[in-house]
Amino acid sequence: MRASGLRRLLALGICLALGTAGSLAAQDRVVRVTVALTPDTAQSGQRNPEVRTTAGLLEEERWVSMLRSGFPLRMHYRVEMWRSRSAWFDDLVRQVEWDVVVRHEPLLDQYAVNTIMPGRARENRYTGIEPLARALEAVVYQIAFRPPGPGEYYYIASLQVSTLSDSDLDELERFLRGDLGPAASEGRDLGDALGRGATRVLLKLAGVPSLRIEGRSGRFRVR
Amino acid sequence: MKPTLLALLVLAAPLRAQDTVIVIDPDAASADTSDRQGLPDELIQRLLAVYNDSTTTRFWGDVDLTRESRLTGTIAVYRGSVRLAGTLDGSLTVINGSLLLLPGAEITGDVLVVGGDVALGEGTRIGGHREVYWDAAPVVRAPTGELVRRERRRLPELTTARRSFQTGPLRATLVIGTDGSYNRVEGLPIVFGPTLDLKLSRTLSTRFDARGILRTAGDNDLLREDFGYTGRLELRVGGSRGAGIGARVYSVVNGIEHRPLVRSEVGWSAFLFQRDLWDYFLRKGFGGYLYGYPSRALRLELGVRRDKESSVRANDPWSLFRNSDRWRPNPLIDDGHYITADFWVELDTRNSGEVPATGWWIRAGFERNWGDEDVAPVSLPTSVRSPIPTDGHYAFNRIDIDLRRYNQLSSNLRLSGRVLAAGYAGGDPLPIQRRVSLGGSDLMPGFAFRAFACEQGLNNAALPALCDRVIATQLELRSRLDLGLGYRYRDRFRHDVDRFIGIDQADVVVFVDAGKAWLSGDGPGQVPNNRIPSFKEWKADIGVGIDAGGVGVYVARALTDGQPVRVSLRLTRRF
Repeated sequence: MRASGLRRLLALGICLALGTAGSLAAQDRVVRVTVALTPDTAQSGQRNPEVRTTAGLLEEERWVSMLRSGFPLRMHYRVEMWRSRSAWFDDLVRQVEWDVVVRHEPLLDQYAVNTIMPGRARENRYTGIEPLARALEAVVYQIAFRPPGPGEYYYIASLQVSTLSDSDLDELERFLRGDLGPAASEGRDLGDALGRGATRVLLKLAGVPSLRIEGRSGRFRVR
Repeated sequence: MKPTLLALLVLAAPLRAQDTVIVIDPDAASADTSDRQGLPDELIQRLLAVYNDSTTTRFWGDVDLTRESRLTGTIAVYRGSVRLAGTLDGSLTVINGSLLLLPGAEITGDVLVVGGDVALGEGTRIGGHREVYWDAAPVVRAPTGELVRRERRRLPELTTARRSFQTGPLRATLVIGTDGSYNRVEGLPIVFGPTLDLKLSRTLSTRFDARGILRTAGDNDLLREDFGYTGRLELRVGGSRGAGIGARVYSVVNGIEHRPLVRSEVGWSAFLFQRDLWDYFLRKGFGGYLYGYPSRALRLELGVRRDKESSVRANDPWSLFRNSDRWRPNPLIDDGHYITADFWVELDTRNSGEVPATGWWIRAGFERNWGDEDVAPVSLPTSVRSPIPTDGHYAFNRIDIDLRRYNQLSSNLRLSGRVLAAGYAGGDPLPIQRRVSLGGSDLMPGFAFRAFACEQGLNNAALPALCDRVIATQLELRSRLDLGLGYRYRDRFRHDVDRFIGIDQADVVVFVDAGKAWLSGDGPGQVPNNRIPSFKEWKADIGVGIDAGGVGVYVARALTDGQPVRVSLRLTRRF
């Protein structure tokens, strides 16, 4: 019994060690969302966020194969502007969200990138994965936030990358939260929670595409 | 200087030469992208009308028309892209595909492309109006060849089949699927039945749904029928603000205390490990309700119902592991007829429902219950409960409050708190099916399941929750970490891409919980009704975990009792 326990512990240690090694080796190419600040040139000290996705999202097979299989890739961005308050909780001043949807069109063998922003949308097309990946990495989103007054501020950006199927899961969850009729609140009409659980386990543990990452800016002071 | 111009000047930051800069104005209209509703309904109706028109020439799949080709009339293409080099003397509709006009191609009429785009070569001409929508149209081709509106396919509903038919403002949907959980009373319930939605005007709609419930676990004691049902008729008015009124009938197996864990997690626990952490009773009756939502954040609901509440026994449904073990018995309840009037309020000001960083989530309810003469109480020691009236004058009150607050401490730290209080709020003692407990991987993960159930020495294998009141507080600190935990390796056959399995980022969660469940009254070992136990008497635990976005592993240890360290796996966020 004791030997068996030791063996399990050893196996766990090896797994952790391998995991760490893999992790360290991969750190330089891990997808990240970064938030830089525009230069401190304004008289007020106001600085705006520049959001960028680094390290080539489309260097990973999980996204490329889903795209080539006909599943649109949805990149949902959210940027929050926070006011830092010493000795108290920080204050969410405002937030903005937008989407980038990437689709493969087999007939044209093109990749269409639709960016749906507040008030407008734009589309770009690319003829292969490499130009597409380069283009996605080269995009910098600058958000025209205006801090409402003096204080110390910072930005947080989150990026949720999902395929159509994962988006469907989110939509269902939104539906469950936002449109709960009384019968639904009894749990009678909520679809298949077992299926939902299975989906989550698959998505998170088995590497089926789903990614949520965050990035933060430094602080700046508005006078 | 105008603020917008000032902001754009400030944005003049040094960037790399190859960068593409996109400026996002948060003040532009429809800032909340979650408000996007997809294609307008009128457009979908138009697509269906054009494609299904008997005079339309229909294509299904990709279409390649050469330079010599010449078509006339209305052409519609579904699920395919069109490469046109010749001439179309008429109009073209492309549904879920793109249009490529090769040099010299001409379309004399209108062009409508939905779910794709138009690429124009040199010297091409479109004589009419051009409309392009990149959103895919939610339509599907029926066996008759006609296009019909497609219900959204949702991956979680793998075991749910759904079919809709629409005639004018009336939509009928037939559903067959599971009931969303797995338990030791019903096994895997199968639900089936129709839903009818009638849109009476832009803001007024009515819905009727009826569901049959087939319980797959056999019941040898005949305490529970193999079939249940629900039916509901509801009238709703409004959009972002509105109200509704409805009535319902039901015969369902209900959870007694919806803790620990949420329904789906309990279903997994039961299905995999034969550990069903909820208790159940049969509720059969009818009722009405009225609700309103003056804003998106606030919802109020008032209801009244009359139930026959009955005990049900645990059966022996199959589980993946430990299938040879015995299920925990399901406790008996105080059977009888009850009338319940309740009021609920829900407030949600969180900035995000999935990963909230700031805001409130509050759900609070008060219910008044009256028992009929046929209430048959289970015999309990007087140390747990004084006798309840059986002369038709049994009445009791109960409250339920769940208050959560989310805060951002700094750019990398989030502090969230929760207070939950439930139980007795006046009148006669509570029946078993309204009682509460504490302990388990939801509220107090450092303690065993129902470690505090107020059994008072009652040795009942069902481990019923017998406390009058429970209060629990949770505090957790979250920090987002770049983990990059997992494996990334070159694909053996395709060298241009990596493969990765693992977790990129996760929240490290440090938490502390404290709470108390107790018997309320004037007897020995009970806490007077107008008091909350002193904090010194509360139980507490502390722990740490990793939440990888919906799947989390937590390790917790009790601070107040000699308990072993406990590990729990969660499929949902803690709160």
